Amino acid sequence: MSAAPAASRAISLEVNGEAIEYEVHARRLLVHFIRDDLGLTGTHVGCDTGNCGACTIHLEGDSVKSCMLLAVQADGARILTVEGLAGDGELTTLQSAFNEHHALQCGYCTPGMLMSAAALLEQNPHPTEDEVRVALQGNICRCTGYVNIIEAVVAVGEGRGDEPN
Amino acid sequence: MLLREVDYARPATVEEAIALLAGHEGARALAGGQTLVNVMKARAATPDVLVDLADLEELRGIGFSSDGLLEIGAMVTYTQLIGSSEVEVARPILAEVAATIADVQVRNRGTVGGNVCVSDPTNHLPPLLVALGATFTIRGAGGERVVPADEFFVGVYVTAVGEGELLTKISVPPASGAGDGFSGVTVGAHGTYVVDAAATVSGEGVRIAVGCVAATPVRATEMEDGLSGSDFSEDTVREAAKGLGESLDPPSDVHGSADYRRSVAETSAVRAVLQAVERRKPS
Amino acid sequence: MSPTNRLLQGQGSTVVETGAPEVLEKGYIGQSIPRREDKRLVQGLGTFFDDVRRHGMGYVHFVRSPYAHAKIVSIDVARALELDGVYGTITGDEVAIHTDPFFEMSVEPGGNIKDYALAVGRVRHMGEPVAAVCAATRELARDAADLVEVEYDPLPVLVDAEESLKDETILHDDAGSNTVWSGVFDWGDVDQALADADHVVKIEKLHFHRFSSTPLECAGALVEYDKGTDEWTLHCNHQMPGVGAIWMAPALRTGIDKLRFVTQDIGGGFGNKICLHPQYVVLCLLARKLGRPVQWTEWRTDQHTANAHGNERTFLDVEVGVMADGTMTGFKVRALDDCGAFPRYEPLGCIIWAQVTPGLYGWRSIRVDFTQVCTNKSPVSPNRGYSRMQHLWLTERIIDIVATELDLDPVEIRKKNYVKAEQMPYETPNGCVYDSGDYAAALDIALDLIDHGSIEERRKEAASRGKLLGFGIGSTLDSGTNNFGQSTLLNPDLQFSGNNEAASVKLDIFGEVVVTLGTVPQGQGHETTSAQVVADILGCPPDQVNVRRGHDTWFNSHAGFSGTYASQFAFTGLGAVKGAAELLRTEMVQLAAAVLQAPEEAIELADGFARIKDGPEEAALPFMALGAIVNANNAFLPPDFNPTLNHRYVCRPYFGMVDTEKKTGQLTLTYATQIHAAVVEIDPETGVVDLVDYAAVDDCGVRINPMIVEGQVHGATAHAIGAALSEEFVYDEEGTLLTSNFYDYHVPHALDMPPLKTGAMESPSPVAPLGAKGMGEGGGGGIHCICAAIQDALASAGKAIVYTSCNPPHRVWSMLQDPEATRANVSVTSK
Repeated sequence: MSAAPAASRAISLEVNGEAIEYEVHARRLLVHFIRDDLGLTGTHVGCDTGNCGACTIHLEGDSVKSCMLLAVQADGARILTVEGLAGDGELTTLQSAFNEHHALQCGYCTPGMLMSAAALLEQNPHPTEDEVRVALQGNICRCTGYVNIIEAVVAVGEGRGDEPN
Repeated sequence: MLLREVDYARPATVEEAIALLAGHEGARALAGGQTLVNVMKARAATPDVLVDLADLEELRGIGFSSDGLLEIGAMVTYTQLIGSSEVEVARPILAEVAATIADVQVRNRGTVGGNVCVSDPTNHLPPLLVALGATFTIRGAGGERVVPADEFFVGVYVTAVGEGELLTKISVPPASGAGDGFSGVTVGAHGTYVVDAAATVSGEGVRIAVGCVAATPVRATEMEDGLSGSDFSEDTVREAAKGLGESLDPPSDVHGSADYRRSVAETSAVRAVLQAVERRKPS
Repeated sequence: MSPTNRLLQGQGSTVVETGAPEVLEKGYIGQSIPRREDKRLVQGLGTFFDDVRRHGMGYVHFVRSPYAHAKIVSIDVARALELDGVYGTITGDEVAIHTDPFFEMSVEPGGNIKDYALAVGRVRHMGEPVAAVCAATRELARDAADLVEVEYDPLPVLVDAEESLKDETILHDDAGSNTVWSGVFDWGDVDQALADADHVVKIEKLHFHRFSSTPLECAGALVEYDKGTDEWTLHCNHQMPGVGAIWMAPALRTGIDKLRFVTQDIGGGFGNKICLHPQYVVLCLLARKLGRPVQWTEWRTDQHTANAHGNERTFLDVEVGVMADGTMTGFKVRALDDCGAFPRYEPLGCIIWAQVTPGLYGWRSIRVDFTQVCTNKSPVSPNRGYSRMQHLWLTERIIDIVATELDLDPVEIRKKNYVKAEQMPYETPNGCVYDSGDYAAALDIALDLIDHGSIEERRKEAASRGKLLGFGIGSTLDSGTNNFGQSTLLNPDLQFSGNNEAASVKLDIFGEVVVTLGTVPQGQGHETTSAQVVADILGCPPDQVNVRRGHDTWFNSHAGFSGTYASQFAFTGLGAVKGAAELLRTEMVQLAAAVLQAPEEAIELADGFARIKDGPEEAALPFMALGAIVNANNAFLPPDFNPTLNHRYVCRPYFGMVDTEKKTGQLTLTYATQIHAAVVEIDPETGVVDLVDYAAVDDCGVRINPMIVEGQVHGATAHAIGAALSEEFVYDEEGTLLTSNFYDYHVPHALDMPPLKTGAMESPSPVAPLGAKGMGEGGGGGIHCICAAIQDALASAGKAIVYTSCNPPHRVWSMLQDPEATRANVSVTSK
């Protein structure tokens, strides 16, 4: 890409395995690009200051907050959103574990939680409770008190993903 | 919330980046964005040009200089710092403190360069790097210069990095038997610091830096002098800390009054020193 | 269906007769069935209002006041309108022309307050919407808002309720006073109770702070206006649409039926999504003015600054009478409630606390002198635990302060004064009836979970590490199923009484079971629990029951008080579902009897069939057959038999009328108990409080889905922990909110939560249709027990009295530095 500063750019990126090309304003936040331009509304906005993590996605396999990135910064990158976790409606073990362990109530923080948990399990398939807490520290939940969310992730690590508490 | 219109550039080399920063008056370097994007969302800062440093591989390395200094590229993320075996061997306190910054998502993007260049009084790395005696390499059109930590932090949001310049690396002396400590009070677990203190105890003496109490980290020089050549017992350390709080003029805000900060500054300095003493290795 | 309780009025006293509720044979009810809501939510396929798109829609950004109190001198939108992509604007002047002020509930002078959808002539809190801009994109709307020029003339700011009470600066000229409502509640004989007491403990001041549950999804709506039919559709997250329409329709000068509320998935409500009518009216006006759908999503900063805080309440001049043996005889208090700039749902908070007047205790004499004032702070909304939480905190503080001052054991004094299980149903001094519960037994479970017996040992061990250990109990009640007649105790002219909720259950054309609810779930699992109830009644598996998501006015499944609030779903929501399902069941049995030519008594519904009990296999009709017969093949049915298989039922809990003179009556019907216990360790040098052990015991009667109940307990506990240790809306003297984002307003994250131990009991409610009580709010038990634990920890370091409900490190540190300052608050007079 040319190094000259520009107010908008054509970007190419991979989203949930699909190649996407789009013209975006430099000021467009990645989360709004994902939600409004790509119509992937599973990623949510919960705050103004990058604290709540409801917007968490994977960028090159790392969990990041998409409200703290500009869409242009994702040019050339591979991103994964919550819609990309399950193929063809077949829930992953982690998603099933959330269901079995009642790890969600209103569901608003859930996509972000799943992305953070999935990133953890990718690097650390058998996390302890403390490791799970650290991994989810950037995801605020106001409904569950985190209790069942942590249990669900620990259970997946212990191979008990689909057993209730 | 939402940014104002801005121009964006992603240079391929450090030279290109410096040229862009020098060539546009309202240009800002975009590192991890974990502070800058927030600030732009709030419209508290509105640069005309964002110079994205993402492609500057030169700034992403962790290694050792020929004289054994741990060199950390400005674009090294906290996650990289935490996972680095060089850091673990040379100066593990850096990784330990970085591991308490906010959360995984922030650590995957946030950079050491960003943390120090923002020079927010509540940031974790400034007081730590002052205590460790780190040096900062700054490159501009005219060449490179090295600035010691005590001179790098100039004011709130102001550092020795001038217009058209870029911080390229931070150099930290290896521990070599020194013990390091870090202590403070945060707003919630892994939250923003209300008061913090970093300390290094080595054969060369003691360095103590207190954060969140002034525009830039404050060296507790009287306490350092009081501990020079001491037995570093808890009583001695507490005695040496007396008066530190009174010497400070910290802010009052929602998280604590000035008096609270004075008191916790003393407590944090004591605890940081005691931690450092405990972790010191015989030379 | 016979009423399950009757209220008899006799010679100034109320007598309650209770009978056992119709007990459904428990099949799916009582099972922890995983939720069906989850499937879409874990895939990111939920539909929250901001996910809804309409062609040609505009995005709205509100221009908000930077001043806490000021005259609006002028507003100029010209520059905003010039910006390419801006569709239009609206200001307070237009609102004042096109709408009438919102309905106010208070008596004069508070009732004279004029509250419009945008500020008219004056702003009264920072962040108050002054104008709105609509543009093609979110970013452009934000840019255009910066171009709206507003000139203000600042006025003196009131951020203190006691200051406001003086009426030196008047916030609402139409009212002429800052007092929204004021009155005295006096039951029993407090003066005698205090005179009889061996000790009178006086507490000068206690303060319940401002905070809120801050749901993760902010408020908002996408509003469409149909010019052809003059109807609006609001895709939104309003959690009490019936009341929302009652406010909005008259303001918009339109009929209630012209406002269609559609909610789907909602990201938490907790009472914060009840007073959304001002912004929604603006959106309705814009949609009509601009001829396009308009969408507004609230910013987090705006939710903290300008949407919905919980009631802030100061308790003054508390006096408690205590006998030598620890029995408490009565108490009096002056309560001063700060409702922020506009009352809106207030002054209901001025009476709702009276649902739990004596807390869990047997006091018979209580006087509360209650005043509510306006200040230049964010308006309040019924935040989780609404008004009862504040009052229960008071009663728990009283217990612990009395215990501390008279050197009584906090467990023993509670057990001594708790209402006893044998006394249930228990009528309180103001005519409320605690339906069931065993507080002492619940406390014992909590004590056991927390290993109370080892506390002193743990205290010593903590001391050896330089830490102060403390143990505290927080008893609380979650009162549910409101009698809106309690509003007449504040304003006898109000035409509100009783309560209702609706639901519909039908067999569709091919026999599909379809349920629509009047409630507005925000994560409480209504779809799942409704399916459990319907499955048990219709004799089919829950998977065969389809519950439509969310609330839609067009479902015609709602009533005036429809919504999800006030801990009543298990009673009214499921009561409506049960009623509708039973009507359907009756018809299904009649139809099957007619088709199978058997008497009705011989028909059973089981395994998804209507069949003859113990009959041959062929004598069984699948639901599909029943649906098809009625809808497509009904000629053979006799003329006098006209089944519809489509039933709407309104659950109307029965309360009787309240007594506006004595201010007594059944203000609510069910009382869930929660007993919380906490162990804290305090770092005396920094004031940091660590929660090292925590237990919460819940008794909500019959648990329809124990897993969901436990989830609510977890969530309520987390909210309480946040409120007790860090969440506080703090203002400076200029009326600036200092905690407007999640950095400064710290809510619990995963690392902040202690390991939670929970326990449950079931004392079935004799008055609820399923024996199940509402329990979603919780009652703030965590705040009460953490305050108690902190006070206990500080007992050995100066014996400070915890006087406020939020105790972050700097406040605990202050109490350690100067315990006498807090102790000066308290005095004991003994005979």
